[in-house]
Amino acid sequence: MNKMTDIDQKKCHPMVGVPVEKLRPKQVRKNLELTLWEKLYIFEIIRGMYITTSHFVLNMIGFVFTPKGQKRRIFTVYYPEEKVTLPPAYRGRPVLVTWQNGKEKCVACGLCEIICPANAIKIVAEERESSDRYPLSYTLDMSRCVYCGYCEEVCPKEAIVMSAEYQGLAERDRSNMIYSKEQLLRSEESVKDRIEYIRRIYSKCNY
Amino acid sequence: MLADMIESIAKILFIFSVNIGFFAPVLGWVERKQSAVMQDRIGANRAAIFGFTVIGLFHSIADAIKVLTKEDFVPTGANKFFHTLAPLISLVPAIVTFSVIPFGGQYTIFGHDTNLVIANLDVGILFIFAFSSLATYGAVLGGWSSNNNWSLIGGLRASAQMLSYEVAMGLTIIGVLMVYGSLKLTEIGMMQVNLFRWGIFMQPLGFILFLTCAIAENKRAPFDTPEAESEIVAGYFTEYSGMKFVMFWMGEFLEIVTISGIMTTLFFGAWHLPFISDQMLLSFFQFAGPNGAGILSMLVNIATFFAKVSFFIWLQMTIRWTLPRFRYDQVMKLCWKMVLPLSLINIFITGLVFLR
Repeated sequence: MNKMTDIDQKKCHPMVGVPVEKLRPKQVRKNLELTLWEKLYIFEIIRGMYITTSHFVLNMIGFVFTPKGQKRRIFTVYYPEEKVTLPPAYRGRPVLVTWQNGKEKCVACGLCEIICPANAIKIVAEERESSDRYPLSYTLDMSRCVYCGYCEEVCPKEAIVMSAEYQGLAERDRSNMIYSKEQLLRSEESVKDRIEYIRRIYSKCNY
Repeated sequence: MLADMIESIAKILFIFSVNIGFFAPVLGWVERKQSAVMQDRIGANRAAIFGFTVIGLFHSIADAIKVLTKEDFVPTGANKFFHTLAPLISLVPAIVTFSVIPFGGQYTIFGHDTNLVIANLDVGILFIFAFSSLATYGAVLGGWSSNNNWSLIGGLRASAQMLSYEVAMGLTIIGVLMVYGSLKLTEIGMMQVNLFRWGIFMQPLGFILFLTCAIAENKRAPFDTPEAESEIVAGYFTEYSGMKFVMFWMGEFLEIVTISGIMTTLFFGAWHLPFISDQMLLSFFQFAGPNGAGILSMLVNIATFFAKVSFFIWLQMTIRWTLPRFRYDQVMKLCWKMVLPLSLINIFITGLVFLR
């Protein structure tokens, strides 16, 4: 039942927006006076009804004989059963990325704590014997988070990224929405697309 | 005597069950589902009994249960008597008007003459106009008695719009009455055996004008200014909930069925199949004996009639989901400056042709 749906059946392109040279001003009819043909109403109404009826008939045929392997005309997604593949630009729950050995990449520099516009992040830093810094506790208050993505943008170590997780973000109790470091750790593999995306968009080189 | 009573009770039960039991709940489903299909959506299909959804038909049952268990709310300061009376007034005419519409011809079954119309009145079409104008009171009373500004505006708009369009609707029908020379709906239906004697070929302009007026009279889009959701909440039935709300809602849907029935009777050959007269149908079913032939041709005619009615219901739904709402002054302008003069011209031309 848990099948994934590609809306366009092609990978979303990471380039955002329309190129400037392709933008054209829309043709707007400034003249508000109707022509005689339009004043007769009936032919324009028939033209409109032709459009809606053609949609109706094509969709009815599509419901009865569902075409296989074709682009879908109807874009409705049956949400709990079907899920869409999200584009890499999607900003879901912020998560902490780990190295291969399971240790967090975060060095507790505190930049995300400072940049966070909602004061959602609290970090307590600590040093290992090898004089590596790491966060002793990393508290993310998801009841305050506004999903702006500044923490990800400011992070020098790609340690915090906005993942594609969008389920289980709502709770009945606010105290359940304060996440500790252990709850936020994700493997690098699971957020690979997003890391590639932010390297391209924020021009981060690979450290 | 007994046979007549049984016959009329059977006819009343048939029409009542078809209208209230079939068309009213199914049209609620049709409105949602057809709009969805037209707008490239899927529409309601989640209500399930034992995992079966039946393309969303169970939503009608779910709606009925919801409506029956809802609170029956009367706002403070409302006139309780008229507030209760208004939905009844708007529902009853919609049910009653179907009694003069013939849904089949005349048949002789077991030596008993059957005429498939509940009340074969000589003034059938006038009866329909009289009762459909009563429905105005439902909207106006509901709007006035709710003690709500939006309701009052909706009621005022409904009164102005429905009264204006009644005048035009009466005039659009006169052309048809001149062609067939009768007010009796069964006779008008009888005369449309030949395909080229159908009302649509005799009165094409009259048909378009009547369709316009009928939709305006029913207060549905594009003429739904009395209940314009984006302007005045829900117009005259803003303050209604539960069963009373459903009465307005059912009245609207049954009026669609009635309008489709009138259009079928007046313009689209009533219960006749094109190119097939009643005698041809009887001789075609001769193998089943005289009684069987009568019953079979009756069933074919009833099926034809309701197929035509279903087509016009579909047409009205398509119009409702295609056109945006007219502004209030445009509605009035369309009535008094376009439909009324055009219907007068239609009468004039019809008179010229028939007096020649």
